[in-house]
Formats: sequence, structure tokens, C-alpha cells
Amino acid sequence: MIKALERFIIEVLLWVTTPDDINALWAQSPRNTAILIGALIATSGALLGTFLLLRRMALVTDAISHSVLLGIVVTFLLITLVLDREFDYSSPLLLIGSALAGVGTVFLTEWLFQSGLIKQDAALGLAFPFLFAIGVILISRYADNVHLDIDAVYVGEIGLASSNTNSHCLTNCEPITITPDDPRAITVRRCMNCAAENLYPRDPRAEFEEFCGNCGTYTPSEAVRAEAQGIPIYDDNEERPTFVYWPKSITIMGLIMLLNLSFVLLFYKELQLTAFDAALASTLGFRPNLLLYVLLFLVSITAVGAFDAVGAVLVVAFFIIPPAAAYLLTDRLYQMLLIAPIIGVFATSTGIDLARGQFLGVFSVNRLLEALDDIVGLGGYTEWNVSISASMVMMMSFCFIVAWIASPRYGLLATLIRRWYQHRQFAEQLLLGHLYNHQHMESMADECSINTLPMHLNWSQHQVERIIRNLRSRHWIEIRGEQVMLTDSGEQHLLLFRQQLMQK
Amino acid sequence: MMWYSDRRFWGIVAFTLFLNIAFIPFSSWVLNAEYQYTLRIVTVGGALLGIVSGILGSFAVLRQQSLIGDTVAHAALPGVAIAFLIAGRALEWLLVGAAIAGWVGVWMLNAILRTTRIKQDAAMGVVLVSWFGFGVALLSYIQRRPDAGQAGIDKFIFGQAAAIVRQDVNLIAIVGAFIVLILLLFWKELKLITFDYEFAAVNGFRVRILDTLLATLIVIAIVLGLQLAGVILMVGLLIAPSVAARQWTNHLEQMTILSALFGAFAGTVGAVISALDVGLPTGPLIIVVAFGVVLLSITFAPSRGVIWASWQQRRDRRRFAAQNILQDVYRYGQSHHDFQKPVETAFLIGLRGRTAQAGLHQLEKQGFVKRLDDASWVLTHEGLQKAQNFEESQQLWETYHLYREALDLPDVQQEHHANIHDVLAPEFIQRLERLQKGDTNDQSA
Amino acid sequence: MQETAALHVEDLTVAYNSRPVLWDVDLTIPEGVLAAIIGPNGAGKSTLIKAVLGLIPRAAGTVSFYGKPYQKARELIGYVPQRGSVDWDFPTTVLDVVMMGCYGKLGWIKRPGQRERKMALEALEHVGIADLAHRQISQLSGGQQQRTFLARALVQDAQIYFMDEPFAAVDAVTERAIIALLRELRSRNKTVIVVHHDLQTVTEYFDYIALLNVEIIASGPTTEVFTADNLRLTYGGRVSFMEDRQVVLAGGD
Repeated sequence: MIKALERFIIEVLLWVTTPDDINALWAQSPRNTAILIGALIATSGALLGTFLLLRRMALVTDAISHSVLLGIVVTFLLITLVLDREFDYSSPLLLIGSALAGVGTVFLTEWLFQSGLIKQDAALGLAFPFLFAIGVILISRYADNVHLDIDAVYVGEIGLASSNTNSHCLTNCEPITITPDDPRAITVRRCMNCAAENLYPRDPRAEFEEFCGNCGTYTPSEAVRAEAQGIPIYDDNEERPTFVYWPKSITIMGLIMLLNLSFVLLFYKELQLTAFDAALASTLGFRPNLLLYVLLFLVSITAVGAFDAVGAVLVVAFFIIPPAAAYLLTDRLYQMLLIAPIIGVFATSTGIDLARGQFLGVFSVNRLLEALDDIVGLGGYTEWNVSISASMVMMMSFCFIVAWIASPRYGLLATLIRRWYQHRQFAEQLLLGHLYNHQHMESMADECSINTLPMHLNWSQHQVERIIRNLRSRHWIEIRGEQVMLTDSGEQHLLLFRQQLMQK
Repeated sequence: MMWYSDRRFWGIVAFTLFLNIAFIPFSSWVLNAEYQYTLRIVTVGGALLGIVSGILGSFAVLRQQSLIGDTVAHAALPGVAIAFLIAGRALEWLLVGAAIAGWVGVWMLNAILRTTRIKQDAAMGVVLVSWFGFGVALLSYIQRRPDAGQAGIDKFIFGQAAAIVRQDVNLIAIVGAFIVLILLLFWKELKLITFDYEFAAVNGFRVRILDTLLATLIVIAIVLGLQLAGVILMVGLLIAPSVAARQWTNHLEQMTILSALFGAFAGTVGAVISALDVGLPTGPLIIVVAFGVVLLSITFAPSRGVIWASWQQRRDRRRFAAQNILQDVYRYGQSHHDFQKPVETAFLIGLRGRTAQAGLHQLEKQGFVKRLDDASWVLTHEGLQKAQNFEESQQLWETYHLYREALDLPDVQQEHHANIHDVLAPEFIQRLERLQKGDTNDQSA
Repeated sequence: MQETAALHVEDLTVAYNSRPVLWDVDLTIPEGVLAAIIGPNGAGKSTLIKAVLGLIPRAAGTVSFYGKPYQKARELIGYVPQRGSVDWDFPTTVLDVVMMGCYGKLGWIKRPGQRERKMALEALEHVGIADLAHRQISQLSGGQQQRTFLARALVQDAQIYFMDEPFAAVDAVTERAIIALLRELRSRNKTVIVVHHDLQTVTEYFDYIALLNVEIIASGPTTEVFTADNLRLTYGGRVSFMEDRQVVLAGGD
């Protein structure tokens, strides 16, 4: 079914472009594929992560992505070892099986909290690492069966996504049958493996099929692959089939992204309501709430779909960091839902260059390494060529830090400026209030003279003088001799301020 | 009774110690482990780390900061990598790097919480995964370096017990002893800020300094364990032993000792199994063992454990069910002024739900109600008496609670369904009865 | 007058993120009274106590206890925080919690010994839960928790006590026990300052009140200050509530 969908997309694309262009765009360009998949993961994650962030459940994504690892490994082992079937990581069956495992473990921990024996933070810090640990142990035990490197568990292999493709034949798609008396079948005798094992050429156990162009019926893609191994199958004048190679992860992640998007669009109203409901937002304490479990199920599916690209640990960044950055930039839910994916997509598309040492095209990490090499000595190895997914995460962190510092409303700079301004305003009101309180009292002479004000307000002389200067320029106070007096307009201003204070 | 004069506690300690020691002959028998030099080092290292992190874990768990430990552990990774780039594979420097990075991670977490409106969960997520991502990038840079000197640095992700050498164990022992010493010295203060931070502040303790001290100790414990348990799963060795220990005791002192022993057990077992099979990373094994201890504890621990609780709940439910039904039948008769009037089962089910059936059967067995036909019941003589007694007891309880203070009655910690005659001395009950009969004005007399 | 005042607060201002929570508070509480701080939710009642005790930073103002600044008056101060502010599942016993009351006098590093133990047991006896001394604190009822805290404050042996909502969610019996204890403290010339939310009991319990809503609306002896006008000023627009109050007040006067 997935293949049919891919075929449909390709047919649509073919109206505007050629098969070679499509191949050049994805299958032959690890960079493009990685950017597209990264962007799809970032969009999916940001859409869901926004709601989890608002419900104060951001760490649930951490929990789910950890437990999903175990789901993936167990499902995989069950299918390959017990059912003895071939399988790969983008299979929908694996997707749903593991996602259920993810949601199931959320149920499980929920039960653990409710037993009252373990505090919530401890349960989160315990149950999910435990499931993750079992996953890691299984992988290191059965590494051959699960086709997984233990390192891939935490970083993924987004750079290799372009080579895991489905091939779609467009022209000359007739299978080629090679009979034993076909001259091309000469290659049968080349394949010593098959002969020694007494295997029928098309036997699925014949692991070396692409190395031995032996007799049997070939699908066009097998024929082309055999030719690529140097075994002539097509005549020179024969038309070779044309193929579009389509990375599997694109389809899967695209579908997941659409699923998440339509979920958010369809249930926008309900999601918005629950996101801001304080009672429901109480950290992990969710009630049996269908919408939430659907949300968590989608988080699980996204985590599974993203697993072979970015691994089980780094995927958390795609859920949490862009929404957190967006949260610093805006108050509106719909704006968060727009900004968070944009940040995610920006980070993934620039992250891939950072992995090769190019930071936003303005700064070269290699230069930095060269400089550092001179200072501390890096053994002369100054080529920054690192994990792509980790670099994408680093770009997200960078975006977060930028938002943190420079956000017009909640940024550090804006807050500092506002605080400085309010602090001044505040001090002025305090002084006015002090004058007002002691206005008609006997102690006024003592309380409100320029010389005693610093002592009574616990401020420095300099500070008091500066504030008095400001207030005088606005005619809210006046000075008679040593005495500081409130004017009528100053009094009005103060009373207005106090009224606002009580009504906050 | 002080915490150390508790027989049950010392029993558990002895049992855990026995398990710790018995594991060595057991493993050499089942796993064919030969306790050569290397394996001995690994055993001692695992045990020491377990003790240190178990002790500090108690405080992390009780201050509900387990996840901050997780953040520190993840944040330490770039520190390890940078220290490696600068100073090479010397453990001391890797740990210094890890500690600095862990500290900066905590600082960043606090800075986000202080200066933005992002809540703790998201802030931890951001810090944790940002630093981890940075660490992974540095790690992949190191791994792609052509020189072969980087061997083993990637083991910091999941931990590798087999890589531990004599000097490492010495380091762990010295730093661990230092940590324990500080804890003993400031035990009173740390206990106070963990339980009631504000009260500590009002009493003139420098809470900020204590806070920083405790956080530093936790960071050091985590960092010490990184080589063994790895950045991703170190948090398990920190908190699992304490969570397990909490189930067995109600004293901080006992909890900390048990936690140390559980930690030693998890550390040793995990490290030894992993050292025997190089393919298995240590961190995950430790977690699995530690979580096993937690599961056993929450299942079997007396008074808190799941089995205990469910047993008690069932007992209570049965007892209440019978008593409630008896009361229902009694009140039914009372309201009809006829205690011989049969009550239909359906009516009782309507009142009490499914427990009605079980309650009725129990009452029938005890001879308090009689079955008239399939669907109706009536009180027996004994049942009537019992119900009247209970009703009377209930009313006395109410009076007791209203006037306990005024009549200067002893404060008894009993639940309402107990018969008051079993709890209060007769002279007090007489006073209550007098109060009930007379006017409430008696109260002032 | 300033010398004899148990608590003297001048121009106290507290702000969260530069938004004022307490504004220019002046308050003087004489020695040997049972005083209540009263005001609507969010008026800053708890904040006032915490700012006075230096638990949260002050933007401006000075505080003195018996004429001394906080640093020098520490030994004179007892504190009963809100019951909900600690984790009652903490692994410790009632006696242990009560002994914490003497930690401040012990100072750094020194351990509590037999003397402190005896003091704690006496305090427990005093609040009527001596039989619970060795019970784990999670097995206490709300009232017993509050009594535990009070016993701890007694062990502090202070001159001036600050209590944050000691009557919140306790049963009637405990409430009466607490007020009896507070009266006893007053008879020993101690000063007790309580954050209180139940207007019904104010006239009965307290002889001195401060009405607070960000600013001090009024403060003084209950008989003078607890008037319908002052309450209306404090509680603002809650008219229906105010009507109820006036009936009670009319009866009280």
C-alpha cells in the first residue's frame, strides 16, 4: 500500500519533472533526503510537542522515546525470530506495534505513580531507563538479528536514509527470464555459492543473488542491480528500464507528519481547551482522557518513525526544543504551532551543514579547530565531520538560546530593560507613597527631609537624589528648604497607581 | 525507640549484606566467573560506586530531584569529550570535565527557570538533550579522528565496567570517603533542608550554601559513576536503590544505609556480569538489577508493599461490607418500626452495589441475618443485638469527637468502625453516655 | 513605642518580577498579643511573613524584632510554615521533626542529644500527642501534623511566633487545641502572629489584627479595626460576601 502511494506521488511529480531529476533530488543526494526527513520529523514533533509543553508533560516524550526502543526491538525480534519473516524499520506493522508499546508503558508508569509508593520524578527517572536498558541489552545480545548498531540507538543514521529505497520501475518493466540455455546464464556457473549449496537460483535463501546473475525470472530492479555488479543482462541495443528510487523514510515520515497535522487541525479546539486547563495540566497526572492518549499514541508513532533517522534519545529534541523556543516568542497557541515547526525545519536544514563544519555559512568550525589545534593540540585533526542528527539538535539549541536572549517579550534583553525601567518607576512610587503617608503627620519633618529619606527608605543618598530629580522634573514633588513635599498632581498620580495595585 | 534499635532493620541489613557477599561464590559457580585481578577490581569498583550513589540518591529522591540527576548525567557528556580532547584518557581529567559540564548544565537549567516562563519539565528536556546532542557531536568528531587513541571514550554513553583499572578504584574510594565524611558532618543540616527548607532558613542555617553543597555532592557521585554506568543510565544507579530502600523503612538513617547496600548490590552484580561478557554494556545491566530490587521492594515490603496493601484492603473491604449491610438491614427495620420485616436483596444491592452479596453471605455465616427466600433477608436476634451495639458505638464515637477536648478524654487513634467499648475505658464511656442522655449544656460543667 | 514593639515593619515592599506583591507596608505589633494578618487570596499574607523572616528578598523597607534587626533577633523567632509546604511522606518520626526545633540553637554540626530529646517529648506532651512520638509522619491526620509543627515551634522557645495558616483544614478539636495553646503562649507574654483566612473566628481568637491587601488597609486592636468599612476596603468588590459579614458583625458588636 505504501508502495502504491509512493507510485502515485511519483506519477504526480512526473508531470513536472523527469525520473532522473527525482533520483538526483533524493536517492542520489543524502543531503537533500536528510534535510527533508529531518524537516518532517521536526514538523511532526513540534506540532505534538507544543501541546505536551503546555500541559507540562514535555518529559513524557523522553519517556516514550525511551520505552519505544524496547518496543521496536521486541517487535523486531518477534517477527524475525518467531515468524521468521524479513522486515525493515519502516514497516507499518513495526510502527504500530512499537507505538502501542510506548503508550502501554505510559499506562504502566501512571499505575506506578498511583500506587503512591514512588514519587513521580523517581518513577520517570526509573521506569523508562529500565525499559530502555532492556532494549539496549537485547540489541547488544542480538545485534545480528536486529540489524542495529548500538550507537544507532542514540544518534540514528539520518545520513544513510537516502540509500534505503523502494524502487519504482517506469518503463520497460517486463521481467526478464533467463533459461539455462540462455547465453546469459553463463553466469550461473560463476556463482560457486549457489552451486555448492545446491540452491535454486531464485531461492530466497540465496543470499548472493545480486552477485550471481543466475537463471530465473528477474524483476527489472534485480536485473539493473545485477548489471551494476558487472553481469550483462540487457543487450546493448535493448532499452534499459527507468527507475525512480524513493527513500522509504520519506513516505513513512511524510505520512506521520500528515497524520499529526490533521489530528491537530481536526481537534484544535479540544486540544486548546485541555492545554490551558490547569487541572488537567497537573504534570503527569492525566485522567483517562481519550484525546491525550491519542496524542501520546501519535508521539509514540512519531518516535518510532524517526527512530532509524535520529535514534531514541536525540528524537526528544525534536519534540521539546522548538516548542520551548516558540513558547518564548509568542503567547498565542496558533502562533506557537506555526513558529515551532519553522524553527525545527530551519534547524534541521542548517544542521546538516553544521555537521560538515559550516555554521549558517558565516563561520567555519574547521577554522576554529585549526586555531584550537595551535593552542591545545588536537593531534592535527581539524576536520569537523560529525553526526548529522546531533548537529541538527545543536542548531535547535542555538535557536532556543537566540530566542531566550532576544525574544522581544520574554527574552533576557527585553526582561532586563523592562526590569530596569520598572525598577525606576517602582522606586518613584515608593518615594511618593512615603511622602503621602507622612504628609500630615508630626514626624513629617524627620521622615521627609532630603537628608533622612535615604535612611528611612534604606536607599543610598545618590539613589534618592536621582529619583527626586526625576520626580521634580515631572512636578510630582517640590522641595522647600530641606523638606520634600508632594504636589497635588503627584498625589493624584499616586492614588491612581494604588487603585490599580488593588485591582490587579 | 531510636532508628538503630530496630531489629527488623538490622535483619534486612544482614540479609542484604549476605546477598552481596553470596553473589561472589554464586557467580563463580553459575557464570563460571574467575575472580582474577581484573574481576576483583571491577567488583570493588561497582560496590563502592553503588554505595556512594546509593547514599546520595536518598537525598536526590527525597528532594524530588531525581530528574535533575538525569540532566546532570546527560550534560556531563560534552565535558568528558572536551576533557579527552585536551588531556587525553586520564580518568581524573575526564571526571573534572564531566563535573564542570554537569554543573554548567544545572546552572543553565536554573537560569532558564529563573528568567523564562518555561516550566521545569520542558527546561530539563531542553538542557538534557541539548547537552547530550553537543556531546554526541564531539564524540563523533573524536571517533573519526585517524589516531587510534580514542578507544573507549564512547563507552561513556552506556558504561563499561571492564575498562576500570586499579587507579580508578582508588580514585572512587578516596572521593567516596570524602563524600561520606561530609555527609556525616552535615547530616543534621542536610536532613533539615531536605525536609523543611524554609524552617532551616528561619533557624539561621545558610540554606544556599547547603543547597550548593548537596547539589555538588550529587554531581560528583554521578560523575564518578559515568565510566561504569554511562551518561544515559547513570540516573538509575542514583535513584533506584533509594526508591527501593524507602519501601522498607520510615527512617532517613535506615533508608540511607539500606540504599547504600542495595546500590552496592546493583553495582557489583551489574559490573561483574558485564565484565564477563564484553558485549554487554554495564549501565543497562546495573539498571536492570537495581530495578529488580525496586520491584521486589514495592511488591513485598511490609506495610507499604503492594501485596501487603492489597491484602489489607481486601480484609477491610470485607469487614466493612458486612458491617455496612448489617447497618442497612437494621435501619430498614427501624424506619418501618418492624425488625422482622424482610429486606429484598435487590434493595441492598441498590444501596451498596456488588459488595452487598458478599456481605450478606458473610453475615449469614456469622448468624446475624437469615435468608427467608431467594431474594429477601431478615435480622436474627443476634444480628439485631449486634447492629444495636454498633449503632450505639457509632453515636458514642460522634460524641467523643465533639467533646473529647472538653471532657479531657484520652486521644485514641482508632477508626470509626471499631467498637468504642474495646478502645475506651468504661469510666470514659459512662461520661459520654451521661452527656448523650442529658442536655448538651453538660459540656460546660 | 518602637522599643517595646515585638515586630516593627517599615516601608516593606516586595515584588515578583517587578510586580508589587506587597506595597509600602508599615506595621507595628506590640508585645504579648495574638495577632492575625487578614486579607483576600493573593493579598500577600504569606508573602508578608516570608519577607519579614527574610525568606524572600525585599525590594525596600526595614524589619525589626524587639528593636533588633533580623540577623540579631534570630533566636527570638519561631516559625510554623504552612502544613502543605513539606513532604509528609518523608521518612522520619514525629519526635525527629519536633527535635528539628532545636537545631537552630544547636548551630552547625553539633548533634541533638538527650536534653533536646527531653525537650521535644515535653513539647509533644504539651500539644497532646506524646503517644505519637515514634510514629512515622505520613501516618498523621491533618490535625496531628499541625500539632507536630506547633510542638516543633515550642521547642524553638521563641519570643515571637509566626504561623502560616495554622487553622487551614484541621478539625474542630485541633483548632480548639491550637487556639488554647496560642492563648497560653500569650499569657507567657509571647507574641504570636498568624496568617488567618476565616473571618468568622477573628473576633473570638485575636486581639490584634492587620488587614492586608497588597497594602496595609488598617491595623490595630481587633475591637477598633475589625469594622465593616475596613473589611470592605480590604476585600474590595465582593459585595454579596460583605452583606453576609455585616450581619455577623452586627451580632458581634
